[in-house]
Amino acid sequence: MAGKSGTAPTTYSPSPSTQNKKRRPIFNDADWVRSDGRGFPQCRPAFLRTGAVNSASGSAYAEFGNTKVIVSVFGPRESKKAMMYSDVGRLNCNVSYTTFATPVRGQGSDNKEFSSILHKALEGAIILDSFPKTTVDVFALVLESGGSDLPVVISCASLALADAGIMMYDLVASVSVSCLGKNLVIDPISEEESYQDGSLMITCMPSRNEVTQLTVTGEWSTPKIHEAMELCLDACSKLGNIMRSCLKETASASQE
Amino acid sequence: MREKEELVMVTPGEVLGKASELKAGRGAYVATHNNTVYASLTGRRSLNPPPSDSPDKVPPPSDSPDKRPTVEVTGHKAHGAVPVPGSIVIARVAKVMARMASADIMCVGSKSVREKFSGIIRHQDIRATEIDKVDMHSSFRPGDIVRASILSLGDARAYYLSTAKNELGVVSAESTAGATMVPISWTEMQCPLTGQIEQRKVAKV
Repeated sequence: MAGKSGTAPTTYSPSPSTQNKKRRPIFNDADWVRSDGRGFPQCRPAFLRTGAVNSASGSAYAEFGNTKVIVSVFGPRESKKAMMYSDVGRLNCNVSYTTFATPVRGQGSDNKEFSSILHKALEGAIILDSFPKTTVDVFALVLESGGSDLPVVISCASLALADAGIMMYDLVASVSVSCLGKNLVIDPISEEESYQDGSLMITCMPSRNEVTQLTVTGEWSTPKIHEAMELCLDACSKLGNIMRSCLKETASASQE
Repeated sequence: MREKEELVMVTPGEVLGKASELKAGRGAYVATHNNTVYASLTGRRSLNPPPSDSPDKVPPPSDSPDKRPTVEVTGHKAHGAVPVPGSIVIARVAKVMARMASADIMCVGSKSVREKFSGIIRHQDIRATEIDKVDMHSSFRPGDIVRASILSLGDARAYYLSTAKNELGVVSAESTAGATMVPISWTEMQCPLTGQIEQRKVAKV
């Protein structure tokens, strides 16, 4: 991981316009190679670990290439007094970036759009009846943004919820695909995302084969969408297996 | 089914068996669309055989009981306890008013909660007899530790607690001198230092 991150460009500078113009047609060729050496249907190597935050009920840390995400889960705990009475539990999600997460140093933003997408992705998988009148809070922090941040956040959050002992129908795995010219590129990095014609993200429960979230942006034709969905679902089932082995490893270690 | 008793770890969403062969216990659920039992927790899977009726060695075929074993998943890390109606809780009295007392739930059963839940002990739920003559300040004081049962989920603010049984009530209280008082009757506690007697709704130990 250290060697690979060393070879990959960690700092990106905007290229001059002439270089940009020259670089653009490369993506339309059928035999171009991705900058990190992956094939088109190949995901980045995944590093997953639970129990990263001591004070949280459950937590998880995920690395996908250069994307680094940490998620904490608190609760079930008492809802705020302003909330209305509810027979089922509540789920609050918050996704934020650190100031050093992006190449351009930012303010460290709370991302409202990502938070609502994460909420929609997770609430279909959680059995909310098991904790009535209480609230589960999910806090996701993107430590480094290396492309495909939102799918990594969603997968890491479901791992943290399982670590916290929240009852769920299934784990939630998420993968995204970018469309560049004629090619479908899975799990794109930041550079590929900046040149994409369209992107598609699928969040699904791999064991039950149900989709909890589907987000499509940009220009797509119908056969292309279908092909991208197949690609994503296959990658999600593989990612689900990796997540299960990570949870079993942690659970077995705590049993000893 | 010969299920060897081995340490099998399961994660949420894993298939545990068919709904026609297994009953879903704690940590498992039945998906009705394909009649499959899935796990909903991360932990160890265990099979409990059905309770056998020993006098009924040969059950009549028309009245056969459910013979399916129950499958359960024991979470390796149970999250903080959530109050459910009917459970016994330990709470600390926070405020005493004319018609109710507010208390912070600290334990549910034998498990402590990670963050406090608010509870309310209402005027009519303090004891089972002479409800009209209950005086709040003769029953609780702020800082007392009480054992109570959860009546219901209550409203948006707090759970409804009840001490209307002999075993429920104040289990520990401090006197004005700062010492832990000794219960001497079901309505009185005495300070071991000064001998002062104070009124409480005392729990029977």
